[in-house]
Amino acid sequence: MNKGTGAGTGPTAAAAAAAAQKQKTMMQRVETDIANIVDNFTQLVNVARVNDPPVRNSQESFMMEMRAARMVQAADSLLKLVSELKQTAIFSGFASLNDHVERRTTEFNQQAERTDQMLARIGEEAAASLKELESHYYSSAQRTPDTA
Amino acid sequence: MDGNLEISLDKLPIKRLESIEENGVERYPSDSSYDEKRVSLIRRIDFAWALEDDEERERKKRQKKSSKDASATWQWQSMVENLQLAHQELSVIIDLINTVDANDAVTVAGMTRPKPLPNEVLSDLAVSAATKLQCYRQLGKYFKQSAKALEEQIAREARFYGALIRLQQNWKVKRQRLAAAASSSEGFIIDLFDNSLYDSAAMCRPSSLSTIRVDHDSAGMLAINLPPNSCRSLHFGFLGVHSADIPKELGKIRTRGSVEQCTREREKESMSDDEYIKETHTLLREVHQSIFDDQVFEMLNREAFNQSIGVNVTGIRENYLQLSIGQGNTLFISLVPSGKGDDQDAANTQDSESAIVPLDSFDNVKLEGKHGTSKRKWGFPNRTSCEIYLQQIVHEHAFVKAKDKPNLSGTRVSGQSGKDGPGLLGHFCLSLAHRIFSNRVLVELENVCRVPYLHLMTHPTWHSQTSSWTIFLKVPQSILHAESQSLKSDFQNMKDAVKSQFRTKVVVNDDRINVEGDGAPNVVSLFKRSSENISSVNKYECDLADLPVIILLQAASQVICWLHEEALMVGIKTNRDFLCLTFELEQGDTVSLVAHVNPEDIKGGIAWWLVMEDGSPDDWKLQMDMYDGASEYRKFLGHLTLDVLYSTLMDLVSLCGGGRNH
Repeated sequence: MNKGTGAGTGPTAAAAAAAAQKQKTMMQRVETDIANIVDNFTQLVNVARVNDPPVRNSQESFMMEMRAARMVQAADSLLKLVSELKQTAIFSGFASLNDHVERRTTEFNQQAERTDQMLARIGEEAAASLKELESHYYSSAQRTPDTA
Repeated sequence: MDGNLEISLDKLPIKRLESIEENGVERYPSDSSYDEKRVSLIRRIDFAWALEDDEERERKKRQKKSSKDASATWQWQSMVENLQLAHQELSVIIDLINTVDANDAVTVAGMTRPKPLPNEVLSDLAVSAATKLQCYRQLGKYFKQSAKALEEQIAREARFYGALIRLQQNWKVKRQRLAAAASSSEGFIIDLFDNSLYDSAAMCRPSSLSTIRVDHDSAGMLAINLPPNSCRSLHFGFLGVHSADIPKELGKIRTRGSVEQCTREREKESMSDDEYIKETHTLLREVHQSIFDDQVFEMLNREAFNQSIGVNVTGIRENYLQLSIGQGNTLFISLVPSGKGDDQDAANTQDSESAIVPLDSFDNVKLEGKHGTSKRKWGFPNRTSCEIYLQQIVHEHAFVKAKDKPNLSGTRVSGQSGKDGPGLLGHFCLSLAHRIFSNRVLVELENVCRVPYLHLMTHPTWHSQTSSWTIFLKVPQSILHAESQSLKSDFQNMKDAVKSQFRTKVVVNDDRINVEGDGAPNVVSLFKRSSENISSVNKYECDLADLPVIILLQAASQVICWLHEEALMVGIKTNRDFLCLTFELEQGDTVSLVAHVNPEDIKGGIAWWLVMEDGSPDDWKLQMDMYDGASEYRKFLGHLTLDVLYSTLMDLVSLCGGGRNH
C-alpha cells in the first residue's frame, strides 16, 4: 500500500498506524472472501453425489443455490475491494502526482517563457518590418494618394 | 366406484352354541379380544373391486395401444391416468387409516414400503441424477451470468478509473465523503477553484461552476454534465461600434464546445476513449476559462467603484459595465453566456466581419467615404485584442501578487497597489484611451507626410501609454556632399553629414502630444537675427487639431534652414526668418522665398511663393494690392521638391551674384 510509504516526508505515527490497520483490514477481507469462495465451491462439489431419498436431493439443490449465491457475493465483495484500492491509488499516490504536477508546471513555465520570447521576437520583427516598409514607402516615387 | 352397491350382511352378535358334549356341557365360542375383532373387520374389506378395475384398465390400455396409430393420443395420457389411479388408491388408504385411527380399538401398527423393483430403483436413481444434473446446469448458467456481469462491471470501472486518472493529471479530483457507498464511483468531483488567484482581502466568492460532479453515463464512462448556458465569457466592445447583445464570434472554441454538449452523448459511441477524454479536457478548460472571466469581471466591478484614475462608470446592469474613457469614447464590458444557438451565427458572422475588418484606425478613415461607416469607428483598436489585453493584465496582476513574478516589460502593469496610481481597470482604460488617441495622431501624421520629402518612422515604445514617431526631412545628399567636400574641413563635413536630415519627434503620452524638432531657429537667435544654434531643438506641446500645422511649420522651417545653409555654403548672405529666406539684391531690393503651409492641401502641405520687394516702402502696399498668382511681385511656385527648391535657390543666388557683378 502506498499510503504508508508514499505519504511524503515523515508521516505521522497516527497516519502510519491508520494505514497499517487499513491494510490489515483489507487483507482480512481478501482472505475471508477467498476462503468463502473456496469453501462454498468445495461444498458444491461434495454434494454432487446422488442420494437415494429424493428429498435429500431437493434439500441439496437449495443448498447449492445458496452456496452459489454466496460465492458470487464474495466475488462481488472482492471487486469492490479492488475499486477501493483503485480509489486509494488515485487519491494517495502523492509522489507520482506531485512529480507529474511539477513536470507539467515546468513544461508550462517553459512554454510561457517561449511564448514570451516568441512574442518579443514577433514584436521586434514587426518593428523591423514596419521600419523597412515605411522607409520603402516614403522613399518611393509614388505614394498612395489620399482620397477624400 | 361404480353405481352398483354391494351389501354384506353380518351375523347377529349373539352367542351361538358351538357344540354339546356327551355330558351335556355346552360349548360356546370363546370371546374374541378387541383386537381380534378389529382385525377381522379389516379383513372383511374387499379390494376386489379395485383389482377388477385394474384388470379392466389393463385391457383398455392394450386396446388403446393397438389403436394408437388410428387416433392421435396425448403422450402423457397414460401417465396422467396412472397418477389418477395412484391418487385414488392413496385416498382410499388414507381414508382407511383415518377410519382405523378414529376407532381406538385398532391402530396402524406400521407401514412398510414395499420393496421396490429393480427398474423402479434405477428409474428413481435416474430421476435423481437428472434432477441433480439439471441443478448443476442451472448453477453453471448462474455462474456464467454472474461472471459476465462482473466482467462488464470491471470493464466499466476500468474505463471510468482510467479516464479519471488521466483527468487527475491535469485537474484536481476530489472524493465526496458523503457518497452513499464507500466504493461508489459517483462520489467524485473536480475542483476548478484556484484560491491562489485571490487576495484574502478581496473575499471573492467561488463560482457555482467551481466544483463539477463526475457522473456515469449509460456506458459506464465518466460524464460531465453541465447545465446549458452555464459558461459565460467576457465580452468587450466600444459603444456605438460594437453591439452589446451579440455574443462571441464564431471563431471561439468555447462557443462551439458548449453548444455541442447536447450532441456529445449521441456521438460518444463513435469516439474512442482518448478522443472522449480530450473532449472532456476541453470542456473543463472552457469551464475554467469561464470561471476566470467571472473573476475578471468581478474584479473589474470592484475596481470600477474605487474612484481610481481613468475610470468613469457611466452605466451598470447585471453582468454589464459601461465606462467612459474620455474624448467621447465609451466602452462596455459584459459577461455573456457562451452557448448561444445557431440562429445567432449569422449575426455573429456579420458582426465579426464588421468588427474585424476595421482593424485599426487608419483603415477606417480611408474607407469612411466609400462605405459610409460611422466616424465613431475611427481609431478604435481591435476588440479581441482588447479583451486579451484585459485578461492578460488581470491574470498577471493576480499571479504577480500571488507568486511575486518580476516585471519583464513596460507593458506590464506596475505599481498596482491601487492606492496611489490607477488600478487595473484604470490602467486598461488609460491604455485604450491612449491607443485611440495615438491612432488619430498617426492619421494626422500620415496626412502630413503626403509631402514628398517627409518620411515618417514609427518607434515602437512597447509601452501601453506612450507612442513615438519621427518625421525625417531628408535633404538631397548628393548636393551637400558634392559641395561640401571640397570646401569644408573634416569637422564641417561631419557636421554637414549629420545635418543631411532634420528630425521632428512626436511623442504622445496618454493624450498629451510633445513635439520636438531641430533645425528651426529658436527664439533667442531670432532676436539676434543670427544663424547660430541652428541645431537647437524646439520642444512644445500641442493638441491634435494643431498638430498638422505645427509639423508642417516645423518642416518648412527646416527646409528654410537647409536652404539658408546651402546659400551660406556658396557664399551668399541671406536673411532667414521662420518661413522666409530673403536675398538682397541691388538697390535694396529683396527677393524672398516664402513657405506657405496648409494641412488641408491634398497635393502636399507646403507650398512656395516667391516674393519680390523693392526698397521703397511706399510702393509696398500698392504691390500687395496687385496680388495675382502671376504677378511679377509675388509668384506662386507651387509644391516644389527639394531638388527644385535647390535649383531655385541657385537661380536666386546667381541673380544675387549677377546683380552684384553688375
